[in-house]
Amino acid sequence: MDGANGEEFAVGCILAIETTLGDEFEGQIITYDRPSNILVLQEGATKAGTGRNLRLLKANYIKDFTLLGRGEDPLDLKKCYVDLPSIQAREEAALRQAEVEAERIGIGVTSEAQSIYDALSKTLPVYWDKTVIVVMKEVRVCSPYLPENVSGGTPAANERVKKVLELERKRLQVRSPGQF
Amino acid sequence: MNVQQAAAPRSSANGFGRRRVDRETGARMDNRTHPGKPSSANFGNSGLANGSKIGGVAGPSHDRLIYVLTYLVGQRVEVLVKNGSIISGIFHSANADKDFGVVLKMAQVIKDGSVKGQKPINDIVKRPQTMIIPSRELVQIFAKEASLNSDELMNGHPREKRKDLLIDSVISHSQQVEVERELGRWTPDEDDPACPELENIFDRTWNRNWDQFETNETLFGVKSTFNEELYTTKLERGPQMRELEIEASRIAREIEGEETHDPHLAEERGTNFHENFDLDEESRYSAVQREVDDGRYEENESSLLDAGNAEASGGSFGSVVGRSYSDVLSKKINSEASKKVNSEAQALSTFPSVDEDSQILADKDGHVSGSTDYASQPTSNSPAESSFMDDNNRLDKKKTKDQDVEKSLLNECIDRVASEQAQTSKSEDVHPSVHVKGLPPGATTYDPSSSVPGNKCPADDSSDSAISGKLSSASEAANPSLRPGSSTSSTSECVGAGSVSCGPGLSPSSSVGSLTSEKSTLNPNAKEFKLNPNAKSFTPSTSLRPHTPVDGSFYYASNMPAVPHMHGIPVGVGIGPSFGAQQPVVYNPQAAPMQSPQAYIHPNGPLYGQQMILGQPRPVYYMPTYPPEMPYKGRNF
Repeated sequence: MDGANGEEFAVGCILAIETTLGDEFEGQIITYDRPSNILVLQEGATKAGTGRNLRLLKANYIKDFTLLGRGEDPLDLKKCYVDLPSIQAREEAALRQAEVEAERIGIGVTSEAQSIYDALSKTLPVYWDKTVIVVMKEVRVCSPYLPENVSGGTPAANERVKKVLELERKRLQVRSPGQF
Repeated sequence: MNVQQAAAPRSSANGFGRRRVDRETGARMDNRTHPGKPSSANFGNSGLANGSKIGGVAGPSHDRLIYVLTYLVGQRVEVLVKNGSIISGIFHSANADKDFGVVLKMAQVIKDGSVKGQKPINDIVKRPQTMIIPSRELVQIFAKEASLNSDELMNGHPREKRKDLLIDSVISHSQQVEVERELGRWTPDEDDPACPELENIFDRTWNRNWDQFETNETLFGVKSTFNEELYTTKLERGPQMRELEIEASRIAREIEGEETHDPHLAEERGTNFHENFDLDEESRYSAVQREVDDGRYEENESSLLDAGNAEASGGSFGSVVGRSYSDVLSKKINSEASKKVNSEAQALSTFPSVDEDSQILADKDGHVSGSTDYASQPTSNSPAESSFMDDNNRLDKKKTKDQDVEKSLLNECIDRVASEQAQTSKSEDVHPSVHVKGLPPGATTYDPSSSVPGNKCPADDSSDSAISGKLSSASEAANPSLRPGSSTSSTSECVGAGSVSCGPGLSPSSSVGSLTSEKSTLNPNAKEFKLNPNAKSFTPSTSLRPHTPVDGSFYYASNMPAVPHMHGIPVGVGIGPSFGAQQPVVYNPQAAPMQSPQAYIHPNGPLYGQQMILGQPRPVYYMPTYPPEMPYKGRNF
């Protein structure tokens, strides 16, 4: 497939592609790299907000494609300056952010448990202690995270956590029927 | 090893463990080792222009790939692998030389390809880790909202910097992992003949064949009379279009990138404002800025901001004002004199509004009390300036300002004025016969107006002096003249005037002697303005320089008392539009304090005729309107 499509992969062309895995999308070609056989596509027509979606697709997974049209070079070559420090800074910031978010995720807990944790964390301060959800530093909820599993803390706090847990479970049930 | 790895993901119970790559180093493309390449003009000579791309030219296309990859670093991407699973993580590095492997940090498997359909709820949630995806597994990398050039990168930055501030979107963002239905693409139940164009409309977002205006016209007979040029500047399309565009965007970048001291602007642009981070959230995000500002007086923005915030603290306020005054003054000195004049005029023209009159009156009343007020005047002016929307409270406060501050201001004024006299005097087109007591009456009236932030010390002094000058008519022949000068402080002329006024400021009561020495800034040959009651109202369509006397002789009154310093002109208090317009501001320096209110010309209205001052055959000075070529930098909110 590579050789035959070498000519078609011209920059700026708009293609509709179907992959061997069943995905379909459209995009404008930014570049095609022969040695690694990667096609870089840009989705979305308008430069809205922070840019458009980008796809790097290995060309040998293209099952079929159609040429929809030709456009200009999507990369403004004069503006292509890479500010390495800022990119690195961005990466660091993203990593930090991801770590913060990762704190939310319990290790080795079921996704059901994770959902409950997320639901609780909306209104209560919670954190993971192995597989136990610790609420307000006092109340502990252990597997399988039913109202009966709520223990610890002052009676008032305990009650409150129980109630919230029940409500959240109900809500999760309504939202994704059959899961809980 | 491969087999092992392939087998491992099949079990749905575990997520993907760390994959090992056969060739270790291949996976790492250290971004740091590609220093020159992406940033150079390699792309410039890419032969990738629309035509057919020669496959053999690996250089340019490869460069583009590397460029794209570099920009992806740090962004969240989703990697689709051969078995259908999707791994989401932060793009760290990639090897693009031969095969294409990538390294993701904080990566997690989102969708397990081996299990079709919804992820089983009992899947164990794994901690994010660094994952290396070898090229043979890699199918696709998908980055949402990837910014590909530095501009977008800049825009995205500010968000990351403010970690301390938890705003709603950040808080709600973290809940993204909430379980949601898998969204499937909508397909019509049956082919609905009523909507045949659905496919066309949404499939090709960049090539819609539907024109709503045409449709409207054919269906309803509605004709569109929209003409874009009615609302905006006409774009000159032509061969120079590109250059103009480039120029425009360069200017835009310049403006947006320029250093600002306004914390709001700084935040928007993502730069660190020089101001200390003591600004609490309130002043950063919700407090209303009370001072009138324009980009030229950046130094004063922070001080004025402080002033606005510290409204209650009169003392500090005064000191801030004083500081701002001196800053402004120095700034004025530095900038072109003529510009100052014009800006001054602008300020003058824009500042006064009818509402001010009452305040002015109040001010004047206060001032009338005598030289004691004098001391308070300067400071009061500054506060007035800072808060464009004068309110009586401020006026009252002004009166209680520090006299010391004022004195120091005056000192500075004098110093600066002395140095700038020559410059300013020459630049002035019209010179108020400052020597004449003239200014003061008008000046005083403008006193409160001088609340325009831009007004610097001279304004204060002048207004004060003007007022007191008026009161003590006789002896203060020099004083009044000085005063007026001070009130017109806003412009460089003000500097000159300021010096004049500064003189008296020092010695409120006496003064005349010092005044005389400063008189040189004023044009002794300036003709007096004769009031022409039949003058037409002025429309701001013509040029600005007041070189051509409209009627009689209009002189640029450097002594403009309290002329609202244009510093605040651009402020969007509604005066914004008049920025480019020339509105003469007329005030009667000699008018009795009470009469002056009418001297204020509404900056936006062509009330020119009405502004002619009252009664007294005093020279009326008007401030030329803002010169068009004065670039307005900065934005005021």
